[in-house]
Amino acid sequence: MHHSKTTVLALVLLASVLLAACAPAAQPVEIIKTVQVEVTKMVQGTPQVEVQVITATPEMKPTDLPAGSVTINGAGATFPLPVYTEWNYAFQYVDPAVVINYQGIGSGGGKKGIIDRTIDYAGSDSLLKDEEYEKGGDLQMLPILAGAVVPIYNIEGVTKTLTLDANTLAGIYSGAIKNWNDEAIQALNPELAAQLPDKAITAVHRSDGSGTTEIFTKFLAAANEAWKAAPGAGSAIEWPVDKAGNGIGGKGNQGVAVNVLNTKNSIGYVELSYALANKIAFAQMVNASGQPVKADADSLASAIADFSSAFTDKLTTDIVNGSGAGSWPIAGYTYIILHMNSMEDCLKAQKVVEYLKWALTDPAAAGRAADLGYTVLPSAVQEKVLAKLAEVTCNGQPVLTK
Amino acid sequence: MQPIQMRAVSLNTSSLSYKIRKQLRYGDKPWSGLLIGMAGLVVLLMFAIGLLIWNGSAEARLQAGLAFILPTLDASWNPITENYQAWPFIYGTLATSISALAIALPISLGIAVFLSELCPEWLRQPLGWMVELLAAIPSVIYGLWGIYIFLPQIVAPLGSLMSEVFGSLPALGLLFSGSIPESGQSRLAAALILSIMITPTIAAVTRDVLLAISSSQREAAFALGSTQWETIWQVLLPYGLSGILGAVILGLGRALGETMAVTMVIGNSIEGSASLLRPGYTMSSVIANEFAEAYNAMHTSALIYVSVILFILSVLINILARLMVWRVARQTPQEARA
Repeated sequence: MHHSKTTVLALVLLASVLLAACAPAAQPVEIIKTVQVEVTKMVQGTPQVEVQVITATPEMKPTDLPAGSVTINGAGATFPLPVYTEWNYAFQYVDPAVVINYQGIGSGGGKKGIIDRTIDYAGSDSLLKDEEYEKGGDLQMLPILAGAVVPIYNIEGVTKTLTLDANTLAGIYSGAIKNWNDEAIQALNPELAAQLPDKAITAVHRSDGSGTTEIFTKFLAAANEAWKAAPGAGSAIEWPVDKAGNGIGGKGNQGVAVNVLNTKNSIGYVELSYALANKIAFAQMVNASGQPVKADADSLASAIADFSSAFTDKLTTDIVNGSGAGSWPIAGYTYIILHMNSMEDCLKAQKVVEYLKWALTDPAAAGRAADLGYTVLPSAVQEKVLAKLAEVTCNGQPVLTK
Repeated sequence: MQPIQMRAVSLNTSSLSYKIRKQLRYGDKPWSGLLIGMAGLVVLLMFAIGLLIWNGSAEARLQAGLAFILPTLDASWNPITENYQAWPFIYGTLATSISALAIALPISLGIAVFLSELCPEWLRQPLGWMVELLAAIPSVIYGLWGIYIFLPQIVAPLGSLMSEVFGSLPALGLLFSGSIPESGQSRLAAALILSIMITPTIAAVTRDVLLAISSSQREAAFALGSTQWETIWQVLLPYGLSGILGAVILGLGRALGETMAVTMVIGNSIEGSASLLRPGYTMSSVIANEFAEAYNAMHTSALIYVSVILFILSVLINILARLMVWRVARQTPQEARA
């Protein structure tokens, strides 16, 4: 009959819902340290089977929590995204109970998220403003890595590395220096002077607000008085080169790089890891002490060392235009933002702090960061950050017990 | 013929299922109520959006007022000194959309006329599908194709040609002054890509309008001795004008709001010139680029103010176009109305 069909259907649906709800809880995963694999190789025409033993590296440690039972969500800057992705993956081996997700939505998104408590930790290149500290309550910025911003270029006929300095960069981006064969650029590049074409410079900048722009403009403001007065520094500014008719805006690091690659006789600025990964030519800079430097781990380390005692009580500092002989002038810290006292889930709080401590102290973590073109903190700064991490409390109790 | 088998069905009038089924028998009332509710929801949603962005832009409206919108040669958009003028974006949106329409309209009309009048029967469906397929391509793919292929190889040479030919003319020359950047990023590039994107919309609707015109009109025109071209131009297109205007509104609406493809090819630069060959900026691009990382509350408010302007502009253009359609439709018989 008609109703019996409906009743049967309803009973089937109800039964499937109940069965799904009563499914057994996930069992803790047994951690397998070594795996034996049989590999068939051809030796002189006959197949031979070889048994290979593959050991999981890094060394997996046992844990008393079920694997994957603690999920930590982070979001924010795209500047350190490649490193954070690697670290999140590696930390699964260090502590299999924890699963960390990090979304690269931009520093602004990260800051909003941590203030609204929709994420557990935020990554940001740009500093929190006073009103954001007030809204967030007990936010703390912790420097984690330093990275370099490099000027990338695409000049017809130029094969060797270009050298620039603060005044020429400020001149290019303010529209004062219009052509590639301008005297100021020729003076810095005597051996390239003949190759520099008499063509207009197309200056590519970011069209979206970004920490990269903030670092770049802070450098120009610190090193060039005219720039400090006129556009100034910030994550989104008004570029004078646009008014002069030679500016193009690209969205994200990728947008700037694509524009530079596709536009002859152009210049732009991106993070070092991006320029290295995409094999784009980037310029040397003449730093505050008058030396031409290339952007690499050593020059970044020198830049950090120049400002190692310049930290404010909020543990933030700019590291642009350092005075050391080998310092890369356009550098910046990237920070993690945490709530110091008001995280609600104490287990999560403990795991976040353990993750950060591991990221700061483990040599493998540092190695991964260095491979990608970033520099880890020098020991003086690292101690300050670790001391701050030890001060994180949850429900009144300090979180780091070890 | 087989006798019809009848079964007696017992009716339990006090059971719950009977009572439920009895209510559902008055199907029309609840059903029409549901549909009216959904229609009302759409109108309500539009008002809710308008209210939300009006409130969000309050800070910027109080500070910048009308100076935000007025045409000015020396506009600035400076989040640090909090000096905002949106005229370059308004000009960019209007210039690219109207140029796109000017390019797309003859092409779309041509496609529609071909598909409805001149096309051999076996080609009609496949060609129609291919034109409609253009509308299905996501706009970010248009942007990517634009940056890597269309702009360097087609738009940049075209732009240099246009600046040579039109750049020195008295009034028109203003629109073609300056030279196009090497990468091809310019308002012209945005207009061309937009025209490719709105062509399928306008062509499909216009073709349907022309196909809906009864063949008695064509036969009458041929009987009076007109050629095929005269029939199309002097009988069919005026007959279907209100429908064609409707198609144009749809296309223009898409062009005004298009964000992704335009952001990738327009150069995102605020420049003082009115030239189509120079990089520009549109309202939707600036909102898409700057909203996520807005510098402070005032910057966010200024961007929401830009969205208010875009909203009002779209609504005004739609109302204006709809009035035009009604005026034309009063003179057009039923089947060709949009």
